[in-house]
Amino acid sequence: MADLLILMGLIALGYFAGSATERRHYRSISKREEAFLHLPAVTFRSHGSLADASESRLVTGCAVISVDYFKRILAGLRALVGGRVKAYESLLDRARREAVLRMKEADPTADIIVNTRIETSSISKGGSNRQSVSTIEALAYGTAIHVKKKGT
Amino acid sequence: MKYTPRPITENVNVSKTSPLREFFTLLLGILAFLVGVYVLLGLTVDLVAPRISPRLEDRLAGLFTSFYAAEDPASPQRARLQALLDDLSAAAGQDERQYQVHVVPDPLVNAVALPGGHIVLFSGLLDQVASENELAMILGHELGHFGNRDHLKGLGRGLVLVFLSAAALGVDSKASRMLQSLLVTTEMRFSRKQELLADAWGLELLVRKYGHAGGASDFFRRVHEQEGGKRFSYLFATHPYPEKRVRSIEMFISEREIPVGETVPFSRQSP
Repeated sequence: MADLLILMGLIALGYFAGSATERRHYRSISKREEAFLHLPAVTFRSHGSLADASESRLVTGCAVISVDYFKRILAGLRALVGGRVKAYESLLDRARREAVLRMKEADPTADIIVNTRIETSSISKGGSNRQSVSTIEALAYGTAIHVKKKGT
Repeated sequence: MKYTPRPITENVNVSKTSPLREFFTLLLGILAFLVGVYVLLGLTVDLVAPRISPRLEDRLAGLFTSFYAAEDPASPQRARLQALLDDLSAAAGQDERQYQVHVVPDPLVNAVALPGGHIVLFSGLLDQVASENELAMILGHELGHFGNRDHLKGLGRGLVLVFLSAAALGVDSKASRMLQSLLVTTEMRFSRKQELLADAWGLELLVRKYGHAGGASDFFRRVHEQEGGKRFSYLFATHPYPEKRVRSIEMFISEREIPVGETVPFSRQSP
């Protein structure tokens, strides 16, 4: 009985703390995305002929997001019957957007970031310990280009 | 090409369904499925249990040794209880099985019939017992469970549940270990009907040994008086109301016109 109560307590903690964290994170993401609208991150391999570039450099941004207990149990139940693991969708979405934001923050004065790529990896993958925390990492990288200012 | 900055307003990558709703739908669905399978297999087990051979049963007995691991085999009480049990099982003549009694120090007022012919008495029960006749009634009751194969029926359902949880969640998962610990407390009980039948069996043995039914209902009456008006706690219990048991035992005695004689005293301290 005590075990069951602890389990229910952990699930409740996971749900309330997890959704509060998620809401806060999304607020921060949309605010910062708004602020960085002037800096496009695109997947083109180059920006024009690059002849007008004064500077180009590699920028990376990386975010690690952990699952909460509620989502973990929910995904475990989902794993029994199959289907879309909706519980994890928002985790990945947050990780990708946070990573892109951090990449932009790495060079806020750039004019454009080209050849943007996003990669994800699961940090707990392959662990023999079943109790290890499922955590995902998103890494965004690209080439930040500074365009020559007219008259220089 | 012109770049037009636009904020993300619509997010197609995240489903907009309620996770709580998904959680409860999945949980209830899976539980309903497991309960369905459990009930179905449980019904089959009730058919199978009476056909399990004593040899197979003795092999299953190994699963339950933890129940009486805490007992003190050298206690003088145990020898006396064992002698009483041997008398009763000889009086019953139901099979050649060697029944063994175990006394476990625990305040629980209860006794358990385990596979392999093991009867576990908790010392809390011995504290409440006043006469040897009452004890014979209790031991006879447990022998009745063996006679009716109730102990295997309980165990069989339990095995089905352990099997199911192990298949669904893995043998070593926290949840399936939790289920197994729950089993020990819930599954080794029997239905009210089984208890009343075992009472009748115990009474029969009591009369065969002592020639009268003295002390048959004393124990249950005492338990009832001590519990007072705590009726509610019996709502979910599988044992019948002690009051109801007393009544059914006394009805049995008066119907069959069994004489009621003097009881032989028993106390924990006497050897």
